[in-house]
Amino acid sequence: MRSSKILFFILILALATACGGGGGGGSGNSTAKTLVSISLTPTNPSIAKGTVQQFTATGTFSDNSTQNLTTSVTWTSSVTAVATISNAAGSNGIATAATAGSTTITAASGGISKATTLTVTGGGSANVIPITVNGALCSDNSYPNKPCISVMVCDPAPGTSSCQTVTDILLDTGSYGLRIFKEALTVLPPVTGNLAECIQFGDGTSVWGPVQTASVILGGEPAVQVPIQVIDSTFGALPAGCLNADQSLAVARYTGILGIGLFTHDCGTTCVNSANNGIYYSCIGASCSGTTVSLSKQVQNPAALLPQDNNGALVQLPGVPPGGTSSVNGNLILGIGTQSNNMPSSATAYSASSTTGEFTTQLSGSTYSSFIDSGSNGFFFTPPPAIQLPACPAPNAAWFCPASTMSLSATNTSASGAPSGPVPFQIGNFISITANASNSVFAEIGGTYRGSFDWGLPFFFGRNVFVGYEGSTSSLGSGPYWAY
Amino acid sequence: MKRSLYALLFGLGLAAAFLTAAGRVQATLGESEDSVASDETALAAARLSTTAHNGYRVRELQTDSVAVREYVTPAGVIFAIAWNGLIHPDLTPLLGSYNDEYQTALRHTPREPGRRRLHIQTNQVVVEKWGHMRNLQGRAYAPALIPPGVSVDEIK
Repeated sequence: MRSSKILFFILILALATACGGGGGGGSGNSTAKTLVSISLTPTNPSIAKGTVQQFTATGTFSDNSTQNLTTSVTWTSSVTAVATISNAAGSNGIATAATAGSTTITAASGGISKATTLTVTGGGSANVIPITVNGALCSDNSYPNKPCISVMVCDPAPGTSSCQTVTDILLDTGSYGLRIFKEALTVLPPVTGNLAECIQFGDGTSVWGPVQTASVILGGEPAVQVPIQVIDSTFGALPAGCLNADQSLAVARYTGILGIGLFTHDCGTTCVNSANNGIYYSCIGASCSGTTVSLSKQVQNPAALLPQDNNGALVQLPGVPPGGTSSVNGNLILGIGTQSNNMPSSATAYSASSTTGEFTTQLSGSTYSSFIDSGSNGFFFTPPPAIQLPACPAPNAAWFCPASTMSLSATNTSASGAPSGPVPFQIGNFISITANASNSVFAEIGGTYRGSFDWGLPFFFGRNVFVGYEGSTSSLGSGPYWAY
Repeated sequence: MKRSLYALLFGLGLAAAFLTAAGRVQATLGESEDSVASDETALAAARLSTTAHNGYRVRELQTDSVAVREYVTPAGVIFAIAWNGLIHPDLTPLLGSYNDEYQTALRHTPREPGRRRLHIQTNQVVVEKWGHMRNLQGRAYAPALIPPGVSVDEIK
């Protein structure tokens, strides 16, 4: 029944076409109508990995008329690894999302073009970034309890397709901002600015190099344009604080550092106001002198610049069995209370100092200023007089070697004075625990420290640890705070 | 008594040595407190305060990014320095004649990845650094110059 109707329709259509031959058509004369602009819909869409998006290009002409140009423009995708887009008849303007990230979609015709950004999410969990502690994301040149992630770095110029994935990035809650050794970077353009910086660490080591804007993609989140430090000890001339600057990633034993601690900028207001800050320098040729730097140009945490999931982060690592294991896998989940996977339902928040990021730890009658640092690989503190924690024999004298594993309990207290909560932890014999060469992840190693209490990576094992950024809020309160 | 006399002589000796060193007046540890003035220049610092303690006094210098405390014996010899701030200060002017010994020891100290501290002990000087971004800290002292009755725990 239906097919006979269609046949009839086709017959009528064929007759009409035959009779109308040579009639000149109804589209009017085509004199001197030129294309003025192109618009794209939708603009800046976000789709899940494995799905498709139909883009439509509409042309506006010199006579103010508009026309659908989807089948006649040329479509391009800047990062074909993220998404491809078709110019084939029947599928013009259809983008296919391959991997999480961002790409620029451009429609062009006769010298006129229009671009929009297509963001591809990781399939419902765009804010999840895998962590391996001494696993696949760490280089072979690693050390015990080293948490590694990968980040995607792209040339920041619009419309370019240069992106690379960099692994062996140390996940560090004790610093702020992204730094990567130049020798590992292939996609950034040559340095054109003068800004460089000297970053010193607690152990007296330092990294030096220019500050460059990169387009950085964390997990399946949209790309952010952010100043990063390109670690390069050959850039300009080393200032006094960086005379010992790391010369290679082989020496540093990481390819880069992502600092996702409590502060959003590596220096902050001191470097806005003072040129004599000892961190930022302006280099003309080999001559570098101290300079002020606005907050927007300082090296800063890319995760705090995201359009969403930007108020903090959750570090999730599994528990580690006594005696250790070879590697563990976990997740860095961006945002606090912004998605179903980062709800702080059972966490207690502890505020931190707005100048140092520290709070207070008490252990057996001793009181310490303290911090939580995924970039430290053990529990580090000066043992209180009441606790006997003998040092190991040389060359491991900076580690604790009690005869048997000791179960301890400290109390952490907000910088504001309340709340307080207990933190049970264990310290074992470093020599015997690390004797098994096939293991690189240990929950119960610690060593001597001076002054403060350093809750290193073992603190994270078996805990959900929330990092609340300064200047941001969540249901846990206003940053800077830790919550677990 | 004998030790403080030694300290004074040691300090004066060093001060004399460095005054002859062609205009480069920038040393502190083990030297007379007069060198605090040169440190102010070297560090572009403002002197904040002097506080008296039992057996010594502390002078504090403040730059835009680090506070440096200089520990001075009653005889006027600087026996220790400590600091905290956004950076570790340049120790070259602060360690003075002890700097070469420190640098040599530093070169022979293996790196400890994953640690946020440095501990260097030579025959004459102890240098310690610790902390993290936004709160770097440290101290350096000459054990032989510490006045009797003063504990190293007071250097902080």
